[in-house]
Parts: sequence; C-alpha cells; structure tokens
Amino acid sequence: MSARDLFTFRNRHFSLGVGLTAAILVVTAIAGFIVLPFAQPWVQFANVWDAICSAAGVPQRAPSVDLTPDKRLSAVVLTSRTLPRPNQEAIGRGATLAQRCAICHGPTGISRADSPNLAGQYSAVIYKELHDFRSGARTNAVMTPFAVNLTDQEIADLSNYYAYLPRLPAYHPTPQLPKPNIVIYGAPMRGIAPCGSCHGSLDNKTGSPWLEGQSETYLKAQLQAFATSERRNDISQQMRNIARAMTPQEIDEAAAYYASQPPDVVKAVD
Amino acid sequence: MSAEDTHGSAGVAARVERRWATIAVIIIVVMALLAAFAGIHRATMPQPRVETTDPSRIHLSGEFVEANLGSVLEANGVTVRAIGQQYSFTPACILVPVDTPITLRATSADVVHGILIQGTNVNTMLVPGYISEQLMRFARIGDYLMPCQEFCSFGHEGMWGKVRVIDKADFAARAKDGGRLSCVGQ
Amino acid sequence: MLANRKLILAHFWLAFAVFGVALTLGAWQMFIRSPIGTWLSNPELYYRSLTAHGTVMGYVFPTLVAMGFGYAISESALEQRLVGVRWAWAGFWLIVAGSVMAVIPVALGRASVLYTFYPPLIGSPFYYIGVVLVVVGSWIWVALMSINLRVWRKAHPGAPVPLAMFANVAGSYLWAWTAVGAALELLLQIIPVAVGLKATIDAGLARVFFSWTLHAIVYFWLMPTYIAYYTIVPRAIGGRVYSDTMARISFILFLVVAMPIGMHHTFADPQVGAGFKFIHSAFTALVALPTLLTVFTICASVEIAARLRGGRGMFGWIGALPWDNPMMLALAFSFVMLGFGGAGGLINMSYQLDTSIHNTQWITGHFHLIFGGAIVIMYFAIAYDLWPHLTGRELIDVRMIRIQLWLWFAGMIVTTFPWHWVGILGMPRRMAYFDFADSAIAPQALSVTFSAIGGFILLISGLLFLLILARGMRSPATEAGPYRFSLAVHQPVTVPLALNTHALWVTLMIALTVTNYGYPILTLALSQGTSVPAVYVGAQ
Repeated sequence: MSARDLFTFRNRHFSLGVGLTAAILVVTAIAGFIVLPFAQPWVQFANVWDAICSAAGVPQRAPSVDLTPDKRLSAVVLTSRTLPRPNQEAIGRGATLAQRCAICHGPTGISRADSPNLAGQYSAVIYKELHDFRSGARTNAVMTPFAVNLTDQEIADLSNYYAYLPRLPAYHPTPQLPKPNIVIYGAPMRGIAPCGSCHGSLDNKTGSPWLEGQSETYLKAQLQAFATSERRNDISQQMRNIARAMTPQEIDEAAAYYASQPPDVVKAVD
Repeated sequence: MSAEDTHGSAGVAARVERRWATIAVIIIVVMALLAAFAGIHRATMPQPRVETTDPSRIHLSGEFVEANLGSVLEANGVTVRAIGQQYSFTPACILVPVDTPITLRATSADVVHGILIQGTNVNTMLVPGYISEQLMRFARIGDYLMPCQEFCSFGHEGMWGKVRVIDKADFAARAKDGGRLSCVGQ
Repeated sequence: MLANRKLILAHFWLAFAVFGVALTLGAWQMFIRSPIGTWLSNPELYYRSLTAHGTVMGYVFPTLVAMGFGYAISESALEQRLVGVRWAWAGFWLIVAGSVMAVIPVALGRASVLYTFYPPLIGSPFYYIGVVLVVVGSWIWVALMSINLRVWRKAHPGAPVPLAMFANVAGSYLWAWTAVGAALELLLQIIPVAVGLKATIDAGLARVFFSWTLHAIVYFWLMPTYIAYYTIVPRAIGGRVYSDTMARISFILFLVVAMPIGMHHTFADPQVGAGFKFIHSAFTALVALPTLLTVFTICASVEIAARLRGGRGMFGWIGALPWDNPMMLALAFSFVMLGFGGAGGLINMSYQLDTSIHNTQWITGHFHLIFGGAIVIMYFAIAYDLWPHLTGRELIDVRMIRIQLWLWFAGMIVTTFPWHWVGILGMPRRMAYFDFADSAIAPQALSVTFSAIGGFILLISGLLFLLILARGMRSPATEAGPYRFSLAVHQPVTVPLALNTHALWVTLMIALTVTNYGYPILTLALSQGTSVPAVYVGAQ
C-alpha cells in the first residue's frame, strides 16, 4: 500500500470520490450563492458579487439611523466589566464622598427613612443610578442636585465604597413574610421571570439591585413608577416590561416581601 | 455450491445493491429539490445578509434605540423592530396587521435568545452582535404567543412575549401619526 | 481473545454508571416540568440538572462506550493483544478526572450553562476544562485504534482489514476531527473568558464552532450501533452480512459527509450566510444515504438468517426470525426508532420545514428518539453480547433482558412521540416550568404528562439494565469462547486499497470541512466588533 497508489486519478475510488464530492460542492455552491439569491424577488442585490458576498455571510454594519436620543432614557453602557476592580484607595475616596449621602442613606448605608439602603449593594447598580441621576434619565428632587455635580471618578468611587460595606439588616426590621408566588415563580405567560433571576437570590443581571430589606414604600413606589412608565431609566424597558405585567396586588406583595427579608440570601457577584 | 454459483449470486447481490443505491440517491435529490422549490415559492428563505451591531450600545444609537422599537408602516409593508434581553422582549407585545408582508428585525442585548411565534413558522435566533431579519405574514387575526426558544439563563422560563394581529384598517388608523406601534399595556 | 477484559469492563461500567445517574436526572426533569410536577421554587436546579444530564449523556457516556467497544473490537477482530494498554488506562483516568472536574462546578450550580455552552453565558472554568480533559482522554483512544490497526497491517500486509475494525477506526477518526470544533471554541474562546483573560466573546463564531462538533458527534454516537448492526447482529441471529463492500462504503460515507453539515443547526442564526446554509442543507440530505444503504443491507442480512431458518415467502420469512433472541429484538426496536427519528431528521434538514420546529420540543424529541432510542438500545445489546466474554459468566435471565428491551422501546415511544407533537404546537425547549393552567398552552398538558410517564418507564428499564449486568457478574462461570463477528455472504479475499484504508476519506473529510466551514469561521474570526461582553452565570 502506498499513498501514490491511493491518491491518483488512476484509482477509480479516488476519482469517483473526489469527483463526486467536488461536483456536489460546485452544484450546491452555484445554487446557494447565485441561483437562490436571485430567485428571491423580495431581496435586491446590486450585482452578482453582492449576491455572492451576502450569501457567504460577509458581515455588514447595519445602516445607521438618525434618531435624537431621548433625554429620559439611560445612556449607561453596562457590562460585567464596566467598573474596574476596587482598591482601598478608591474605597477610601468613596467613604469621604459618602458623608454627604449619610443624611438620607444612613451612616452605615442603611437608611432610617424610606431612602434605599446602599450597604453592600452591587457596585454596578450604584454606578448606573448615579449616572442616570446625573444625566436626568432618572430624577428625584433630593437626589438630582447631589448627582449632577459628580465626576465619573467620584461615581466609580462611591459605587465601590457602598459595594464594600457589609450588608446589614434593615433599620426597621419587620417580621419575615413568606415568599409570594410572583416572587418565586414570576408569571411565565405574562412574561415575568422569578424576581431572583435578576435581583440576586438566583443570579444577578448586571445593573439590577438586590432588594432584601429595602423600604416597602420605596419598592412599591418604584414598581408603580416603572409600571406607569414614569420611571424609564431601565435600559430598553427591561423593568417596565415586568412591572407593567404585574397586578397591583402582586406589586404590594413583592414590595412587602422584599422589605421583610434579611440581606444574607443574596449572592455575591464577581 | 459451485464456484460459478457463488460468482453468480455475488453478481445478483451487486445488481440489487446498485438499484437500491440509485433509489436512495433519487429520494435524496427529490427531497433537496422540493426544499429549494418550497423555499422560493413560499418565501421562507434564510435572511439574505449578515449584519452586525454592538449589543451593549444598542440603546444609545442605531435602529434598536427604544424610540424606534415596535411596528412601523412603510410603503412596502410593515417593519417590526424588537430586541430580546434577559428576560423579556421589547416590545413585549408586538402589534401587526393581518395579510401584510412584515419584516421582523431583531437582535439581542446580552446573551443568545430566540423568537418563536407559536402557530406560525416564524422562528429565529437572536445572537448578540448580529441582527436577525425574517419575513412574515399573518393570515389570521388574533393573539399569538412568542416564547424565547433558547436557554438564556435562569429566568428563561419566564420569557414569553406576545404578538397581536389586528385588522389592516385598524392598524393603518393607529399608524397615521407615524409613531412606532405596539400592544404593550393594552 | 479479549486479553484486557478489565480495561474494557472499566469503560463499560463507568459508562453505564454515569448513564444511570444521568437517566435519573432526566426522568426527574421530565416529571418536574410536566403538569404532574410542582413548579420549582428554584428554576436554576432544573438548568443545573439539565447541564449534568446533557454533559454526561452527550460527552461521557457514549465516548466511554465507543472506547470500551473499540478496545474489544481491536483485540477480537484483529486477534492481537492491545498495543498501548498503559496509554489506554491513562485515557480512561483522564476521562474520570475530567468528568469529576466538570461535574463538581455543575453540582454546585456554578456552571448551569447547558452542555451546549451558549456563550456569552460563562460558567466556572473548571467545567470547561473538565470537558476538554474528557475529549483529550478520548483522543488517546483514537491514537491507539490507529496504532493497533497499523501494527496489524504490518503483520498482515495487503490483507482485508476486518469490517468491525475498519468501521471502528473510521468512527475514531470521525470523532477526532469533529471534536476539534468544540475544542477550538473552548480553548480559543470560552476558557480565556472563563478564567478572566478576556471579557468579550464572539457568540456567533462560538455557535459555528459548536455546530462543527454538534452534528457529527451524533454519528460518533451512532458508530458502535452501526458496527453492531453489521458485525454482531447477523452472527447473533444466525445470518450473514449481505455485503461487506456496501458496509465499508456506508462507513466511508459517514466519515466524509457527517462532518461538513453541522450548520443545519444554525439555520435560524443571523451570523451565517444563506449560501452556506444551503450547502450544509444539501450535504445533510446526503448523510441519509449511508443510513438508507445500511437499512437495506441489514434487512437483507436478516432475511438471509430467516431463510436459513426455513423462512419462506415474500414476507413470510419475518415470522421465522429468532424473535426471542435479544439481539433480534434490539435490532427491530432500533430500526423502528431509527425510521421515525430519521424521518424527523429529514424535516430538520430542510430550512423551510425546520422553521416550524427549530428549537422547539420537537428537536428534543428527535434526538432522544435517535440517540436515546435507536442508538442506546444497541449499546444495551452490545453490552449483553459482550458481557459473557468480559466476565466469563453467562447472562442467564434472557426473559429479563427481553423485558428490559421492550420497556426501553415502549418508554422511548411514549416519551418522544408526544414530545414531537408539542414541538409542532410550538412549545419551546429548556424551560424549568410551564403554566399549563393558561388556556393558550393547556392543550399541551396531556402530551407532556405522557412524556413524563415515558420518562419513568425509561428509568425503570435503565435500572433493570444495570441490575442485569450486575447480576451477570455473579452468575455461574462459563467459557464463552473467542468473541466473533459476523461473516459476509462473500467474505472479502482482497479489498480495493481505498476500501481498506482511511487516508483518502479522511483527506476528503478535512477538505470538505475547509470548504464548508473555512470561510464562515475566518470571516467571523477576523471581523471587528462582533465580540460581546461575557455574562457570568450563577454569581461566581
């Protein structure tokens, strides 16, 4: 046996095998790249070359569309790597800046009123909300004036500082409530996934906060604001889609449930 | 059994085999032609172009900004723009007219999702970084379910959208102002 | 003679043990997402179980069966002691290590990304590295099969390679090459992101790489089954292989056209050009050819057995078949399931029909029927046939074996037929639960319930299988004699070079991969700005 006897057109199997394969390839290529593209009256190609390149899958940038961006929508780009890894210095700077936040958000990051607790919140959440307050995508009479003057660096430092703080129980703990169905299962046919699949107890979708121990009033107000589209800084409606599909009763239940929970069930994120 | 017999039976076997192989090849060729024919005449062909986009910035510029999502009436039919993200479609309820050629353009903002409209053959993947385009046409007025058909992490089971097909005139009336239509919240 | 029984038994036992675990998970999944289960308060558990089920059933179980069977074929068909036994054990232990490494993060919920990976979802790096180790372990087997054949050829220059070994080596080459797609995806794309060297990944390219592996892997799973069809069944039922040449051609066709067709898995993907989708669709149609040839040859071989047993008439011979022989039963069941599954496959193959069932439960039904049904039932038959030769003990309870095979067949039909049906209704795959109370999907509830019941029948059958094998280890000793393969009606005296070697066909396989995959992979790899941020799963 030698390769020379095998790989030669004198070998019937070689010529048959290679010939048939090549023939099928050529026929299917002509059909796939030239005949079929032009057989579709609903697609226009500039010329044969355009048809071939399109059929081959040469990536093309989508045509740009000029639309004036909506001021009330978030302009933050969030990925799992948006924030650099925190260091002690950044956290220290954040701690200094955070002194002015303490009036509402508490000296330990736990609010004594109905402002959100920030201690141990995911850094991406604080980062995104501060950016949104600064840009006007989210507004609040008290919060906006604080945020408008922050620099990018200050926002990053604050995010890292609050993420670094230990998670503490709420200032006014309430007896723990059983998990309502809307929180455990969501409502599939209404397009509602379990809350925990984004909000930390199952997994965290970057930019979604964990909610355990937050003020019931605050949670309810936010859900209602999302449902009515009064609040619109959730990128591409990711939370409005959910809140709109919730019934008022489900909003009450979810808000009361999360307010009653200790923060220790929340998973950490990388 | 003599040597000749053996030879003869081998010949018979070879002939029968060849016949069967020919039949098998014919079956396959006919099926391939059938598929090509159906594709052209029923207008179900893969999208003609590969188009790319940056998923983490689709909300900032380009055709998938929030204000441009939904259905828009154009000269040659309706274009629907939608995105999939963990764990919803936007718009969560797509509004289209009946008996109208519709171009669906969609992409993903994060991971791989899929759009499947039950009771139709509208079915496409949403791969982040790329734009999916599919032609569709609804023959029947009504509501259709539109689940995400690809695993997109732990909330996948809750990712169900809707398509509402309405009367042509009704759609045209709603589209008069030139905005992007959807049936969200209705 | 089987000299390395311990090696082969170790592969089989590990294969069937992990099969038992994965089967149990599968039955649980069927139950929990059906109307008779209650919704999981933690849907992640479902996806975790699904990842484990898929990883074991897709990567570990069939690979170990192919390896164990491959070693057995090498020793018995070539009648020579296995060369490289130490390496074989090294491969085995690599698979053990890889499986453990992969399963731990999965069990902890750190890698619930499903066995299909789905970047940009990214799980624990250990999961991916474990899978790579499993593949590397199996590559040792590929090398050993090639080496053993080479050693035999040196000793028997020009002699026809026994069909079983020819097919076995073809299968090993197919696996070696098809695994490269997923290996590239893991090594170049996913693992660098999972360990934190990179933060973005091209999800479209990853899907193309994976399609390279995901379709041809099915033919790798299928190889032991087809080898059994050709080289065990006719012997076991007292017949002859109708045509040795046709058998070789079938295996060669698998080698050449199983590979460059994987993009029919990406018909609905936006990153693959329509032209390549068409080419892959056409080649997918071609892969039906070796199966059609096999169906013909095996039916003819079976007919020979029947006529030798006195069968008469156009169809009368069917009654003369040894229906109480487990091998006959397994073959019949396997063919029925292959027929239905193959017909389903022809639907998946065409873009137009695929759009109505792509990524629905139809697909899950389809590959469970083909793999879990037609293929795995022959794995059972192979094990039953080999067991006395491996253990030196007889499997006495043939009735139990028949019951087991019947249950598997019935279970598979009850599971997969309704599964196909709800797929046509548009039920999506891989959801932890469904709201069957909703009127829009309530009509699917009954079908899903049947599927779940089928799942339990399968579980019972699988456990029975393990029980039969375990009891076989303790039954009275017997001398099973040398392990033999079927003879052809016309045993080959000389075989043309091309049908006795793999080089030409391996070259064609690689060439077709280059033509059918080269351009799509290159353009995606070189295009800028298609990489997207990774999404880490399960809160690392």
